[in-house]
Amino acid sequence: MASTSPNSGNPSIPPVHLDFLAGLLSYLIPGLGQIKQGRVAKGVVFFVALYALFFYGWSLGQRKNVFLADSGDRGGLLSRLGNDLYYRPHFAGQFFIGIAAWPAVAQYINFDDKKDEGPIFGRMMRAPAADEINRLQREESKTWDLGWVYTVIAGVLNILVIYDAIAGPAFREVAIKDESSPATKTEAAAV
Amino acid sequence: MSIYWHLPILIVVVSIVYSATRFDNWGMIFHEAFRWGLRMSLFLFGIGFALYALSSLI
Repeated sequence: MASTSPNSGNPSIPPVHLDFLAGLLSYLIPGLGQIKQGRVAKGVVFFVALYALFFYGWSLGQRKNVFLADSGDRGGLLSRLGNDLYYRPHFAGQFFIGIAAWPAVAQYINFDDKKDEGPIFGRMMRAPAADEINRLQREESKTWDLGWVYTVIAGVLNILVIYDAIAGPAFREVAIKDESSPATKTEAAAV
Repeated sequence: MSIYWHLPILIVVVSIVYSATRFDNWGMIFHEAFRWGLRMSLFLFGIGFALYALSSLI
């Protein structure tokens, strides 16, 4: 699934091999694409750091701040999704943390305001009632809001991780042959 | 507990993840992460100090 794109014209920098499969893996689980590419330590750092931030933020919000809100629009799925993301855009960032946010999607698809729980995940990542959100914002001393900010930042940071999996780091190391010495040294170069 | 005690994890994670997407070399990652962490801490401290000063003076 890898393809090649031309570099910026510098002949000393090898072309970038775009690895979309690794990008998909890093979307699903942060760092998994890097692990698949053999950059295991970096993948583990991404996994631990982003999941720590996401779940820390989720717990700060009493595990009720990651959800796709239902604004009451009963049109088609796309129209409803657009209106609901406009109504509460937080999930547009949270979504990019990958499968950790998928329960919210399942809850949204199966949402029934006449029931207290969803069919698969129960109350996990289910949109709370307006009264419940008001109570959390009023009584949790701003940690509910801080929590969703953390989860959104974790999701947005994972976009950088996905990019790193697809195209590599922003500054790649290139081998530079020193004319005066047989040793080869490496240097970071922007791509 | 003040919400400011929750900030270190944010600064550490953002610094390390952002730096690790810029370099593959661990020395450069940690160097860049330290610089970004310092910049963000100073920026947040500066904002906090300015708001504190304003609220105290006005």
